Amino acid sequence: MMQQIEQILTTQSGELLQALGQHLEISLLALLIAAAIGVPLAIVLTTHQKLAETMLQVTSVLQTIPSLALLGLLIPLVGIGTIPAVITLVLYALMPIFQNTYTGLIGIDPALKEAEVAFGLPRTKRLLRIELPLAMPLIISGLRIALVMIIGTATLAALIGAGGLGTFILVGIQSNNNALLLVGATLSAVLALVVSALIRWLGTLSFKKITVSLAIFVGLFGVIEGVTRFQAPQTTITIAGKLGSEPDILMNMYRDLILEDQPNYKVTVKPNFGGTTFLFNALQADKIDIYPEFTGTVLQTLVKSPTKTNQNPTKTYQLAKKSLQEQFNMTYLAPMRYQNGYDLAVSAAFAQKYNVKTISDLATLKQPITAGFDPDFYHQKDGYQGLKDTYQLNLNAKIMEPSIRYKAIADGKVDVVDGYTTDAEVARYKLVVLEDDRHFFPPYQGAPIMKADFAKAHPEVVKALNRLAGQITESQMQEMNYQVQVKHRKARDVAHDYLVKQQLISK
Amino acid sequence: MIEFEEVTKQYEQSLALDGLTLTIPDNVLFVLVGPSGSGKTTAIKMINRLIEPTSGVIKIDGQPINQMDLQTLRLNIGYVLQNIALFPHLTIEENITIQLEVLKWTKADRQKRARELLAMVHLDPDQYASRYPSELSGGQQQRIGIIRALATSPKVILMDEPFSALDPVTRTQLQDLVLSLQKQLHNTIVFVTHDMKEALRLGDEIAVMRQGSIQQVGTAKAIFNQPKNEFVREFFDIERQQATLTVEDLLAADLGTVVNGQPTTITMSATLAELAQQLVVHPEGVVVATDDQGQRQLTMTDLTTLIAKRGL
Repeated sequence: MMQQIEQILTTQSGELLQALGQHLEISLLALLIAAAIGVPLAIVLTTHQKLAETMLQVTSVLQTIPSLALLGLLIPLVGIGTIPAVITLVLYALMPIFQNTYTGLIGIDPALKEAEVAFGLPRTKRLLRIELPLAMPLIISGLRIALVMIIGTATLAALIGAGGLGTFILVGIQSNNNALLLVGATLSAVLALVVSALIRWLGTLSFKKITVSLAIFVGLFGVIEGVTRFQAPQTTITIAGKLGSEPDILMNMYRDLILEDQPNYKVTVKPNFGGTTFLFNALQADKIDIYPEFTGTVLQTLVKSPTKTNQNPTKTYQLAKKSLQEQFNMTYLAPMRYQNGYDLAVSAAFAQKYNVKTISDLATLKQPITAGFDPDFYHQKDGYQGLKDTYQLNLNAKIMEPSIRYKAIADGKVDVVDGYTTDAEVARYKLVVLEDDRHFFPPYQGAPIMKADFAKAHPEVVKALNRLAGQITESQMQEMNYQVQVKHRKARDVAHDYLVKQQLISK
Repeated sequence: MIEFEEVTKQYEQSLALDGLTLTIPDNVLFVLVGPSGSGKTTAIKMINRLIEPTSGVIKIDGQPINQMDLQTLRLNIGYVLQNIALFPHLTIEENITIQLEVLKWTKADRQKRARELLAMVHLDPDQYASRYPSELSGGQQQRIGIIRALATSPKVILMDEPFSALDPVTRTQLQDLVLSLQKQLHNTIVFVTHDMKEALRLGDEIAVMRQGSIQQVGTAKAIFNQPKNEFVREFFDIERQQATLTVEDLLAADLGTVVNGQPTTITMSATLAELAQQLVVHPEGVVVATDDQGQRQLTMTDLTTLIAKRGL
């Protein structure tokens, strides 16, 4: 474990720093916005107590909404990425900031308030010289509570493509890489502690110094934000991918291919961006430009009135392409060679003991069989729900995270798991893939999907990506997945090496 | 000169001031005294408009205060609070000069003024200017409270039961301080208290209040000696009892028979106890020389009459 962590820290320090920066940026932006709303609101409402009570109720209710649900609710309204993440965090941070500021101002000794009024101090003077400084310890502690909460919750931002340290946690869970998970979680905790200490220190300064420090900080933050925004080049292409190493590798190949032809383009990759529907919505909303999708998934999940998929890969692709064009005005480029389909796998020992070679064999077994399936597979019609009917399977199926499920079968906790034909774990855990003797699983071929408008506007991108058509065999993909998941090499390097080796790019 | 003309304050449940008419002359220490609920605090807080009257007019130097600029009015009236209310996050110097900040005095001028005022109440400026209120004793804090009210050299200073939370020794010291400051600066001080002893000790003029109206206005001596009604009398009764009665009090009550050419056997300042001892030895009566060169003979009957009238 320690070795793994060390390896991550040395090989991925760039990504870690970037994620840390992203995390801090999202968190501080959310904190500033929340403070800019919460503090003035509390000041105004100190003279409207009934309204203030209502406001406290509202912020408390916001607090009880699970952050994941809030993120989900915001997607149709504001899309994905940094904006919904920041909005969610602001809504969470609002309550401690508002409540503490309000309590601090309301709690000032009435005698002091009488004194400042009787002395004829003007309203702003009273606020800045007397009331806010007196409430400052509570305000500062409100900011601290809010920030610690923000930094914790911001790990969820990775789910909607805002990046940050959550990416590491997510990928760690996904690929059963506890070291990665630990690094992500620890960094997030350390960040919270450091920033919390910093705010605590800020609280010990005089009111004047606090104001000056905050002003400098906001100014710097604004300048940095402005500069980064201003520097954005004209053509920016955003490529995203689902969770996991394979989409990550593919995305990086797309990027290298585009940059090979158009070195001046700015290509952003957003790995581990989310699930199928999420990515497709992002594509429709122009939040991303391209992502790799499987033909089978297009037919089963994305297009309307899904048809029974054809067993012929070419026909499947043609149908998917046609449906996407007609229903969504999307362009689906030519697929790669390898087929990545669902499969069922059992341990070698299990296969030997019960002499199971096909899924039909599995269906005939009398003893109870436990299965660990990933949530997508369990719910989809082209997954367990259809499979069950086709084979008359009667499994004791449990839903598990994809990575945990392989661990479970390796530890003997379950007998059967679902998987993909290109999964690195098949070899790693010595599993046996059962033959789909009734040809239930449709053939899944990967290809880049994009809006037709985008394809039309960027023929050079289409041309670059088409060089990957018909490339990559199943074993090559398995090997690359193995490099990333087990050997912990960067998807970017693995992708680059492959393209160079296949002479698809120059170096 | 501060004038209350038919000032009434009606709260939802109660009448705090009932047609109060009162004139407070310039350059005196004017005490409003009365039991709790008598309206004295309401009255004083109307002068700097912390409380607005329901009806009636309050004038300062002939000008109705509700027609004056509120901030100007307040900056020119000093205010000392019952619970002192120093701003805990400001230094003593900042506390004293907070109004001067509003008046845009320079830092150097404010510093100078703070030192001046500290010296006036016998607190070493070098030692105290940069301290925080919590580092001072209660008595020291209220000294700061008093000089904070003096910062803008206001003509009028309001003191709302400023010493009620202090111990008796400190209270006496601060009463002396207020008396000497008033002699020195000749401000008009309006002082609210429920303690008649304090009222008698401080007041050039005293207004006794009860249930929102004035019972009697006058000098300490006049009120003490000639209470206008039963309420005022009772209010000062305890004080009266505590005072040690002397032969002079007996004369003041017009007791004893006028005599001439007798040998004087007792002085005017003798206590009633001493008189009683003399009367045991001389049951026929003792003779005292009066202020107007005359003599009076006092008997046991005179003594018992006084005690019956005034109590012990």
